[in-house]
Formats: sequence, structure tokens, C-alpha cells
Amino acid sequence: MSKFLIKVGQGSCGIAAGAGKVYDVLNEKVSGNPEVTLSITGCIGMCYLEPIVDVYEGDARRTYCKADEKFALALAEAVASGNLDADALKAYEIAEEDKDYLRKQTRIALRHCGNINPESIEEYMAADGYQALTKVLKTMTPDDVIEVIKTSGLAGRGGAGFPTWFKWNAAKSSPGEQKYLICNADEGDPGAFMDRAVIESDPHNLIEGMLIGAYAIGASEAVVYVRAEYPLAIVRLTKAIEQAEKAGFLGENILGTGFSCKMRIKAGAGAFVCGEETALIESLEGQRGMPRLKPPFPAQKGYWQKPSNINNVETFANVAWILLHGGEAFAAMGTEDSKGTKVFALTGKIRKGGLVEIPMGKTLRDVIFDIGGGIKNDAEFKAVQMGGPSGGCIPADLLDTVIDYKKLGATGAIMGSGGMVVMDESTCMVDMARFFLDFTTKESCGKCVHCRLGTKRLHEILTRIVEGEGREGDIENLEELCTTVKDGALCGLGQTAPNPVLTTIRYFRHEYEAHIRDKKCPAGNCKTLIHFTIDADKCKGCTLCARQCPVDAIAGKVKEAHVIDADKCIKCGKCFESCKFGAIVKD
Amino acid sequence: MSINFKINDIPVYAEAGEMISDVAARFGIDIPTLCHDPKVKSYGACGMCVIEAKGGGKLLRSCSTEVNERTEGMEYYTETPRVIQARKVALELLMTDHTGDCRPPCMLACPAETDCQGYVGMIANGMDAEAVRLVMEKIPLPASIGRVCPHPCEKQCRRGQLDESVSIAFLKRYVADKNLALGLEEAAKVYQKPVSSTGKKVAIIGGGPAGLTAATQLAGMGHDVTIYEQMPKMGGMLRYGIPEYRLPKAVLDQEIAVIEALGVKAKTGVQIGKDIAFETIRKENDAVIVAIGAWTSSKMRVPGEDLKGVLGGIDFLRDVALGNAPAIGNSVAICGGGNTAMDACRTAVRVGAKDVYTLYRRTRAEMPAEDIEICEAEEEGVVFKFLCNPVEIIGDENGKVVSVKVQKMELGEPDASGRRSPVPVEGAFEIIPVDTVIMAIGQGVNPAGIDGLELTRKNTFVADEQTFATSVPGVFACGDDTNKGPGIAVAAIGEAQKAAKAVDQYLRTGKVEAPKAAFYSKRKLSDDQVKELYAHRKEEPSDRVQMAHTHAEARKNNFKEYMHGFTREEAQQEAARCLECGCMDYFECKLINYANRYDIDPDRFGGYRHDRQMKTAGKYFVRDVDKCVLCGLCARTCEEITGKTILGLVGRGFDTIVQPEMGMPLSQTECLGCGLCVSVCPTGALVEISALDKQVPVKETVKDAKCVMCQAGCDVQVASCGSRVTRVLPKKGKGQDVLCVRGRFEMPKLIAVTDQVAAAKEAMASMDASKVAILVGTTCSNQQVDAILAIAQDVAFVASNSLNKVIEEGRQKASATYAAVRNKKAAEGEDLAVGFNQNGVAVRGIGAISAKEADMLAKGDVELLIAFGEDLSNLTISDSVRVVALKAQI
Amino acid sequence: MEKEFCCTCGSKSDLTLLEPVLAKYASVPGSLITILQHAQDIYGYLPTDVLWHVAEKTGIKPAKVLGVATFYTQFRFKPVGKYLILLCQGTACHVNGAKLVEAALEEELGIKDGDTTDDGLFSLKTVACLGCCSLSPVMMINDETYGSLTPSKAKEIIRELRGKQA
Repeated sequence: MSKFLIKVGQGSCGIAAGAGKVYDVLNEKVSGNPEVTLSITGCIGMCYLEPIVDVYEGDARRTYCKADEKFALALAEAVASGNLDADALKAYEIAEEDKDYLRKQTRIALRHCGNINPESIEEYMAADGYQALTKVLKTMTPDDVIEVIKTSGLAGRGGAGFPTWFKWNAAKSSPGEQKYLICNADEGDPGAFMDRAVIESDPHNLIEGMLIGAYAIGASEAVVYVRAEYPLAIVRLTKAIEQAEKAGFLGENILGTGFSCKMRIKAGAGAFVCGEETALIESLEGQRGMPRLKPPFPAQKGYWQKPSNINNVETFANVAWILLHGGEAFAAMGTEDSKGTKVFALTGKIRKGGLVEIPMGKTLRDVIFDIGGGIKNDAEFKAVQMGGPSGGCIPADLLDTVIDYKKLGATGAIMGSGGMVVMDESTCMVDMARFFLDFTTKESCGKCVHCRLGTKRLHEILTRIVEGEGREGDIENLEELCTTVKDGALCGLGQTAPNPVLTTIRYFRHEYEAHIRDKKCPAGNCKTLIHFTIDADKCKGCTLCARQCPVDAIAGKVKEAHVIDADKCIKCGKCFESCKFGAIVKD
Repeated sequence: MSINFKINDIPVYAEAGEMISDVAARFGIDIPTLCHDPKVKSYGACGMCVIEAKGGGKLLRSCSTEVNERTEGMEYYTETPRVIQARKVALELLMTDHTGDCRPPCMLACPAETDCQGYVGMIANGMDAEAVRLVMEKIPLPASIGRVCPHPCEKQCRRGQLDESVSIAFLKRYVADKNLALGLEEAAKVYQKPVSSTGKKVAIIGGGPAGLTAATQLAGMGHDVTIYEQMPKMGGMLRYGIPEYRLPKAVLDQEIAVIEALGVKAKTGVQIGKDIAFETIRKENDAVIVAIGAWTSSKMRVPGEDLKGVLGGIDFLRDVALGNAPAIGNSVAICGGGNTAMDACRTAVRVGAKDVYTLYRRTRAEMPAEDIEICEAEEEGVVFKFLCNPVEIIGDENGKVVSVKVQKMELGEPDASGRRSPVPVEGAFEIIPVDTVIMAIGQGVNPAGIDGLELTRKNTFVADEQTFATSVPGVFACGDDTNKGPGIAVAAIGEAQKAAKAVDQYLRTGKVEAPKAAFYSKRKLSDDQVKELYAHRKEEPSDRVQMAHTHAEARKNNFKEYMHGFTREEAQQEAARCLECGCMDYFECKLINYANRYDIDPDRFGGYRHDRQMKTAGKYFVRDVDKCVLCGLCARTCEEITGKTILGLVGRGFDTIVQPEMGMPLSQTECLGCGLCVSVCPTGALVEISALDKQVPVKETVKDAKCVMCQAGCDVQVASCGSRVTRVLPKKGKGQDVLCVRGRFEMPKLIAVTDQVAAAKEAMASMDASKVAILVGTTCSNQQVDAILAIAQDVAFVASNSLNKVIEEGRQKASATYAAVRNKKAAEGEDLAVGFNQNGVAVRGIGAISAKEADMLAKGDVELLIAFGEDLSNLTISDSVRVVALKAQI
Repeated sequence: MEKEFCCTCGSKSDLTLLEPVLAKYASVPGSLITILQHAQDIYGYLPTDVLWHVAEKTGIKPAKVLGVATFYTQFRFKPVGKYLILLCQGTACHVNGAKLVEAALEEELGIKDGDTTDDGLFSLKTVACLGCCSLSPVMMINDETYGSLTPSKAKEIIRELRGKQA
């Protein structure tokens, strides 16, 4: 065992932030030195600190952030000299305050992420990997497994929050020899990336969870439907499957218990609607992702019309832990009706963006301010968007809403897959509603009239409002059309597409009215409604803004007050940003 | 074991697995749907079939809600407010992306909403009997209206944006005259006698176009109708307002006779309020319609108006019509610019006046009269003095008119109606010596005798614009005597129709409710758009057929009708110019049916609308993706039933489109031509090409039949319009009801061949057969040749003109033996055993036209030449020979 | 923007390149999407003659193949530039100014979303979410991810890549 073990965090974002270069420099420097082993790990979930490198000296673990080539050279020297206390190195060490980021979390689904090497089954097994599976296959009947999951209170982490035991039980009890277990890794919600982190950082945990599920419902084949935009996740999962097969955890007669199950990956091809389970199945069958009519539910007639069970990645990621530690341990966490933990992808105007896994029952304030560190450059918090295009915006005065399926649902938003986009006062809520409808219009499969045409007309009305052509009665029209689309649409996409509109109207109706009646955008975001003028007293005539302006809409001689030509101005805001004297007025 | 539950409180039962929508259909409960067809799996896209379970909860799609044990005892409702709202919004959303004209602009412009495209299309197909029947559904006096109507329909005709509008009014006259020519007994067959009488009595005061229309409609509904007319004869403005040369009284009499033949009683020479009290009429009848027209000539309120020799325009025309034309002397001045003024001045010319002046305050451009009327008046010598406003009529010592003083005017700013208002030029006057002055500046209503009805400021009766009910219950009013006053005759007819419907409802239910306004998807096309959309129609003759008429000199001194009407060929050629704007699927389209049933508000959601203009006509049907509602039925039936899967959805979301495989034209795919997709398409996105030459949307009658195209003899339904076959459809039934291409699309054409021959027979009717010659083109099919020979027993000769070309070609390019045999025989003038088959090769019984036969045509020894698919340009045919050109049926 | 499928029937592709993929997947039910993904990797886009060939070899009806190919945004029917720019318009990126980055890229490349530069170097395509929201606004160029973009930084990257080509 060498003295030092270096682990470079290699999730996709880490690599994008430069982890690859850091690894190469280190590799080149320390490969000769027996005292040092260089390895990689997955994504720890502290995106704002990427790239992250951990250095183990025996059990002692030091974490270094925002690593770059300079750091890599410094570290190489330090390990060569056997002493990590070099100043050059200290500068990169994680700040005390940032250590709390992980300490305040309770990690079950993400427990191995950023700790073990995702490409080594040995490290996974060292962290009691596959013990749950062995225990299940050797000592438990499918009903026992379902009982444990029932006690744990585990519910769907994809957003619907449907009790997992109920789905497994339905699939188990529907007749049919051939059954399928499917993992929904489509993760189409913009702003959500926890499934990616789990697959890239802890693929074996997903495999083990799925195998337990397969055993519970009696499925002999498992499929993981991963979206095409996650190439690294596919590479790592493929490797993990090969390793699991070699280690006898996958394939024929697993661990000699007579239970056989093979697993394969199916890459999605760019369709948010395929996050809906029946559309996903259509896509698996090589068809257009058009949702099917329900009933029959997939548990009765799913993939190739055979009983199939579909769960989200995060749901499966909890299964092994639950089977190992028992349902009661999981149920001890959370609220009365929402048990266990939930992973949130904290992004947007947040100071510390990343993956936060906390037990249900915490409040939004805890996640955003206590763990997330509040709003970037101390701006004013305005709202948090949860559940992506099917979710809603929750305003400041509801920050103390408890995180659980029912209570979040009551706000009009939904738990969703966990995307949590924080917004400050510079974000226009009407434009956010328009943004989500632009998304659902493009992602609607086009089958149902209410959704195909309903979302399009909702988007057009919102676009009109944002471009200053809102009319009296637009809000009422929006509300009525939203209710009818929700009522008439066939699948989840259409039924929830109106949520962003309904919640922004419910909490920010005054912004809609400002756009429609006063032709003003309070957040100063909607281009057609904002105007830039120069305050003659403050303007020093330094001509900087005139030079910055891409469409030279600013005229004026040196040392004299300048003027903006409103017709030419494209409202890009460059002058506003560049003026040192605060002479540019934006209203 | 069957499962019992309720729909709309009606107990029903079903087996497990059956869909609720199919159960409802079985029990005669109509649940609307656009995307469901029992032949294929449920799809659940359109949201029309939603129903609500008792106790609320999410709306259920009945097309995909399967009956199972849990359905036992459930109660579903199919027309709850929430369900209706969901369907209404679905339809309103669909309409925001539906591009097309349900009904043509001409029909929507007609105050009586006559189906112009319908009868014009029929005329083009030679279906004259069906055409007149269609017209008379709305207009009981087509021959009269066809002559006098200022045709607002033609102003909206899109052909006008291409070159010249279709001559719709004259085409109406053409079929009406043909019908009257059959004699009263035959002509009256247009209207079926009502099967039973309702026992309700309706009195109609006034026998003008409005009264006659209301009478016809109400009599047709079985009511006992009596018209009270104060003048000696019925006809109102058509008889006593419009001069003989425009509308011969004989024609009017014939048309009125047809109406009377329907059982309408008339009491002429009876003035209500004088001979019979209005009160009595109201008591003796269950309902009354007042249609007394507008007969008071408006005063000009200028000094000298009451002198002798100053006549009201309408009074002058009435007296002439009554036969006691007043002596108007040599020079006459007519004041006014409308149609009545034109009638008055041209009548004055015919009565013998030498100098006839028409005084009008504005210029010619602003004159409301028909432009053609102004030109013809000028041709007949009428002098138009524009920008002249009569301010004083000067009389001699014994109060007789001697001259009229006019104030010169110039045009100022446009007034409320958009016409530039005339402004007097200071001190500019002119004195015109005249013997008579006729005031034709407007007409008013004399309500005397019809007391108790609320009047407008202009002394016309106040009548509801939709039901024409007046302030007095049970009394209705329509025509020139209501609201805005006098208008064109067809507007009066339009009002009379609505009044008749309201009266019928009142008589049956005692209530009067305005009918829902019908909704049509329509669009306004710019000239360029019209040119682009109808570019494929460029090659046909484009200029409008001018109706033959007597030149001015011969017509100006008599009242004989100077417009001679269309011949059959002229009518067909003019009718063929119609651009077929209205949707061919109108009588079958579910979308428009539901849109009206749910009374949608079409402008609720505007927004971007596809206008891909990808209308493609294949061999058998026309595809128009802009009318597609993406119900997927065509693609699904093509996949699930025939297995061919030729059509498919392409793209995703709002821009999804149905296309054949890889966007190929259908003809280059393995499409069987079974027409299943066309049968299931709920809108005009897929419409058959009907067997009629000219495509026209018509109401069809359907009767069961067996297919004749092979010995399998499948059950089919033959759809036809009057005597002509339009389509062959699969028989709706439990089975897959799929036909092969021969039955579905070839058979109609085969039956249609008899149409051309029927047209020939009709042309030969009442003629001496020996005076008829027939030429048969080489592309006629065997069936057609047999049918022609069957009717040509004793005609002068049957020959083929284009056969010479075939022989000539045979001589040049065919093998030596072929040429040798053919030209030897032909050269010797021997009667060739020659006929024709599918691909035009001559095989049976008809020889090339001989010199003798060609000579008969040149000298006019025959009166009628019928040519089937022949090019006659190389033959000299005397003018006396009437030529009927018909089609070769392949 | 209407993603019209315009049939490139004139396309003459070397269909033998597809043999290994078809050998593996043609008989496997439900593998049409996988086949099309491999085909696009080989030809850079989905030419019409390849679609016909896939239909023929798999027995799936051509209309179905076209239906699936035009449903998923990953597939494209026109060749793309050497560098395929995927600009993220996800929620986090949108909130952090992805629109300004898009404007800068369109200005620099002189093309609109969905087009390819005349020199065939760059293709610009906006996508819903690339899943690295913490680096928003973000774009990927041929599997290389660039995070925390600003309008000027984005232009910089383009010029750099263009430099490499010259």
C-alpha cells in the first residue's frame, strides 16, 4: 500500500472544468513513484468547487478544490517530498465553511459518489457493495423484499412519488413468464443532473438496486434507458455491467441461487417526452415516443406488452442501502408521508451550486441558504423553480415550505426529479413561464390536441405579453386554457405543462399585470419593455459606452453628455455594464 | 357475463374489454370522436370523446376506457358542462391551425346563402336537373332572380382575382329556363308536395319575392298558406318594378304557377287594412308575415315637385307594367343613380321619349346602379348628366312641367357610406327643358293598414335580424319593408327564408329563438395567393362567356327581352371556369359538424397557422395537409388493416405532418388504392376525386349495391347526386369493409361513362335522328363505344375523325404488315371493322369519316353533331350545325 | 422552426459501411433507434438512401423509419460542420444568460440556430439541457464541454478553433 492515494474527481462537469488536464499532469509526474497511487473518483456533487482532488494519507483525507495545472505540479512535489503542508498546496485546500456543504447532507443515494472509483468493482464491494444483493438472493423471497421496501416508505424519485413497493407488487403479481425491469435514466428535466452523477460515479449501486428489483418482481431482463446526452455515463455503466457479469452478479444463475437476469443499456435519442414511462417503452421498442393510453399500466402490459416495472435512477440508488440497513432505518428519516432522503440539483443564481441530498422534512430555506450559501453576489432571492417544465415557481414567502411530496404539491409546484433553479430579482417570472412553454411546445409529441395546440397557444400568449403586446383578459384566458390543457392531455407532459404558468400567475400576478397594463418588466429582463437612457448630469462624456455599443446607437462628443438613440438600441445592456459613473438609467 | 352500468341514465350492458364509446354507439348514444374507429386500436388523441363519471374526477376518454368488473354500476355522462367545455376548447384549438374554406366566398356573399359553387359545378357536369333543384331550395324564382340580381356573389368570386368572375347569375337563369321549358307539370316536380298538413294557417301579406319565398318554404313544411296581394297579380317589385325587357312577365307567371302548384293559395286585388282588416287576418291565422315591400317613391323636396308631369319612379314603372303608361312627351329627366333610375330611363326610351336625361349628383363611379345597366342605357341613347342636382322644377301657367333647374356640383370629402359627398358650385346652374320629370331617388314603405307594429324612424317595420319577429307576437315581417328598408330582391328572399324558419318553429313550439350562427372556416386570399393556389388551372379558356344579346338599335324601341340566355355549351364552358374554392368534404366533414354543434368561438385563440400549400392531387384522391387534424386514422388504418403502412407521421409536436413513405408521391409507393384512409379521414385532408368531371361538393344519396368489377361481387354503397354517380364507398359494417382499388375508384368512372352517353341522348331528344351525326374519338373505351352504338341506330352516320391520324401513324411507324393491311383497306374506302379499346387501338365497328360524311357536315345536312373526345379543328362544319362536345371515357 | 424532412434522394452513400451494424441489430426487434444512431455516427447525418436501406434490411416499413427518424432531435438530415456546437438552453443556463451567448455565437458564425457555416466548419444547435448546470451557461463542441461562458468567451473559443483550422 503506497503512502499516498490521490483521487481526481472525474464526473463530466469535473472534466469540463479541467480535471482531465490535472490528472494528466499528475500522471506524468507521479507514475514512477511507488509511494503514490493515482486514481479517479466520481462526482462528489460540489460543482462550484470543481475540479476536486482528494489526497489520502492512510485514513487522513484532504480535499483540494479548483485544482489546476499549478496545483497538480505543487501536489506532485509535495507527495514526492512526503509532506503535504507546502504553502502552494494549502491555498487549494477546501475551506472550513465548504466542508459543511457535505456535512449537512445525509447521503444514501449519493453515498459512494466522489468517494469510490466508479470503474472498480473492488472498491464498490469494499464499501459493502453487492452484500444486499447476496442477502436478498440467498435469504429472502420476493415478497420479503417488497415488504422491506414497503416499510421503508420509498417512493418514486422521478417526480411522481408513487410508492415503489406498490409498483413492484403490481408487476410481481401480474401473470406472465417474461417480465422486464426498466431504469428511467432519461432525465429530461432541464436543470436536473443527479441521475447522471449516480451513473457516472456509482454505477454498481444502480446495478445492485436494479437486480434486487428484478428479483422482487421476477424479471429476467433489465434495461437502462440512458439519454444520448450522457456519453460518459454510458461508458462507465457499460464497464460496470461487464465487471458485474465477470464477478457473477449478473447473467445466468447469479451466485448459484438460480436467479438469472441480464442487463443492457439503451441510449435515448433526444425526446423529453420519453421520460414518461409509456413513451419510454415505445422508444425502447424502436417507435416514436408517443405515450400510450393507460390502463393498461406497464405493470400489466409494458415492454413488448409484457409486465414491466419502471423506476428512476435515484429510486434504485436507495434500494441496496435499504435492504442492507432495513426499511425502518430509511423510514426513520423524512416526514409522515414522505420517507427517506431526496437529492436536489441546486443551480441558478445560487452561491454554492451542486448536488444536495437531505432527508425529507428539511425546508427549502435549509437547502438554499443553509447548505447552498444563499444567492450569488448577495442579490435578493425571488423564487425557486422546482420540477422543471412540469413544476412551478415557489416565491420567497414560501421558503419555509417543508420538502415532502404533499406539501410541495400544495404550492402548485411538484417535487419533480429534484431540479432546483434559484432565481433572483433580475429574473422575470413571465419570461420563465414563456421559457418553459417554449420547451414543452418543442418537446410535446404532438398526439393530443390539447397539448399540441394548447401549449403552442399558451406560448404565443406569453410571448405576446413579454413583447409588450399583452391585452386585458390575457391572464384569464391563460388560466382557462391551462385548466383545459391539464384536463384534456393524455400524459404527464401535457397534464403538467401548464404548471409553470399557473404558479407564476398565482404568486407573481402583479408582474403579469405590469407587463400587460404598464408595458413594464419589473425584473428589467424583457427586451422590448426595457429602455436605456443616459442621465445627462452623471455622464462625463468619456465615450466608453459609445465604443462598447455593438450597433453604435450612442452619440455624443468627448466630454459632453451622450444620448442613446432608442430606435437603434437593441437593449443588450453593454453600455449599462460598462459605464463607470452609473450614468446609464435602465427602467 | 355482461357488465351493467349507465350512460346518461340509460341502462346499458357490455362484455369486459369493450370500449365505452363502442358500447354507447351500440345503444345509439352519440359520443363525438375524430380519432377513433372501431376497426383500429384506440389512440386517444383528439379528446372529443371525453365523458365524466358520476362524482367528478378526471375526464375519461371513452374511446379507451375499457369495460371491466370495476365498471359495474358506474354512471357516466356524455354531455356535462365540463365535458362540453373540454370539447369546445379542443375544437377551438383545432380551428386555430385549420386552413381552408368550408364554404366558398360566393355562397357566403349571397344574402340567401345559395350554394353557387354547387349548382355551377353541377351545370359544368351537365347535371341541369339537379342544379335547378339545388337553387330552388333557397330561391323559388330562379329564372327571375337569375335575370335581375345584381349578383353580390360574383363580386366575391375568386376567379375575379385571376381574370374575370364566373357568370353565376346567368347560369342560374340557364337552368331555371331549361326547367320551365319542360312545362308546368314537369317543372313543378322540383318541389315535393308536403306529405301531411300541419293544420296551421299562415297569412302572408304581399306577394312579392319575399312573400312568395316565405309561402313556398312554409307550404313545403305542410302549413296552409294564403297570400294576400293588393295588386291584380303577384310578383311585387319583379312584376311592377322591373320592366319587361329585363324580366318578361311570362317567365314570372310560369314561376309563380310552380309555387301555386305547391298548394299556395293567393287572393289578389285585396288590400289589407282596406278590404280586410289586419285584425281579422291576425285572428284567422296562426301566424302572419308582412311582406308589403316599399312602394312609395321618395320625394326630392324641391319646389315644383307637385306639378303635373312629375312622376315617382316606382309609380311610372308600375303604370307601364299595368299597361297604362302615362304620356311622358318627348323629353324626360330622370333623377337618381340606382337601378330603379336605370329602369325608368330605359323604359322612358322604350315608351317613345326622344331625349332622356339622367341627372345624378355625383359621378358615374359613385352610381349604385350596375355598371352594365349604365352602359346599356347609354347605348340606348340615354344622356347622363353627372354632378347635376335638380333644385327646382319649373311649370307653365297651367301647372305643367316645362323645365328643370339643376345646380352644378363638384365632389368633396367622402361621407359616412364612403361615397364622396357632392358640394354645390356657387351660382352654376342649368335649365333643361323637359316634358316630364321622374323622381327615382329612393323608395319608402307605406305601413298604412298594418297597424300596431313598431316602426323605425324611416317608417319601416322593426323586425329581429335573425327571426324577423316584430313587436307583435305571431306577426313577422321581412323584405323591403323592414329595418333598413328596400334592398335587392335576393336579400328580401334571404330574409323571407329566415322568417319562414322562425314561423315554422313558432307554429310548432310557440317559441321564437334565433338560430345559432353557422361557423365556417374561411380565409381571405390576396390576388397573388389566388394566382399561386390556382396556377394549375392556367391552361383552360380563361375569359368569361359573354351572353348573346340584341344590339341597342334593335332593342331600344320595344320591351322584348334582349338577353338571350346561355346555350348548353356556353353554360358548361362558363361553369367550368369555377375555381372550386369550397371544401369538397363539406357534407362529410366531422370538424365543421362538431364546431357548429358546440358553437365554438373561433377567434378565442389566434396564433401561427400552417399554410404549407401542399395540396397534391393523386390519381384517385386529393391530399391537403393543412386541413389535417393529426388524428392519425389514415396512418393507423393503413398499418393495422392493410399492413402497407404507406402513410406515416413525420416530425414531432406542433409541426407534425402526415406524409407517404420518405415523402414520395403516393403513385410511386406500394399504395393499394383501397381508399381506406380516405374513408376514415374526418376532414377534407383526404378526399376522393369524384366521378364527376368537375369536382363539386354535393349532397349525396347512398344505396347498397354489389361491385361489378369482378365476380367477387363485394357489398358496396354507391353514392350519387341526382342521376349521376359520384363515389363508391365500402359498406359500413362490422367487417373490415375494405374495397380494392377497382371497386373503390375504378367503378365510379365506369358507371360515369353512361353519363356522357346520357348527355348525348338528352341532346338528341325531341330531334329527328336522321339529322344527327356522331363522331367517336379513338380514346373511347369499349363500354362507351357499345353504349354510343346502342343509341345511334338511325342516326345519319357514326364515324371517327381521329382514326385518320391512327391510320396515318400506322402507315409511318407500324410494322410493314400492319401498315400494308390498314392503308390498303382504308385507301379503298372500305368500311373498316374498326372500334376502340382501353388504349385506343381501333378494333370494333366504326370507320374513319368518309368524304361524303365530311361534306354533310360542311353543308349542314345534319342539325346536330355529337363528338366524343374528338378534335374537330380539321373539319369544316356549317354554322347551322349545333355541336355537342362530350368526353371520351377511358 | 419547422424541421422539414427534405428527402435527399439524390444522396449516394456507401451502404457497405452499415453492414456490420445491420448484421448485429437488423434482426433484433426494437433496435431501429440504435441502428439510426450508429448510421448517423458513420455518415454524420441520415441520408435518404440509408433510411431506405435500413427499412429494407430490417423489414420495418419506410414510413415508420421516417417517422422515428424525424421524431428524435438527435437525428439530422443534413451534413453538419466539422465542429457541432450544442448550446444549452436549460433552465439554469437560461437564467444565467444563455440567450446572450447564443446572440454572440450567431454574430460570430453568421448563422442561425440549426444552420451550418458555409465553410462547413461549424454547426450551431440549441439543446434543452446538457446536465452540467453548475457550469451554466454551457456548450459542448464535439463532446468537449465549455462551461461558465460569457458572450466574449464564447467568441474566443470559436476563433481559437478557427485558428486551429487555418
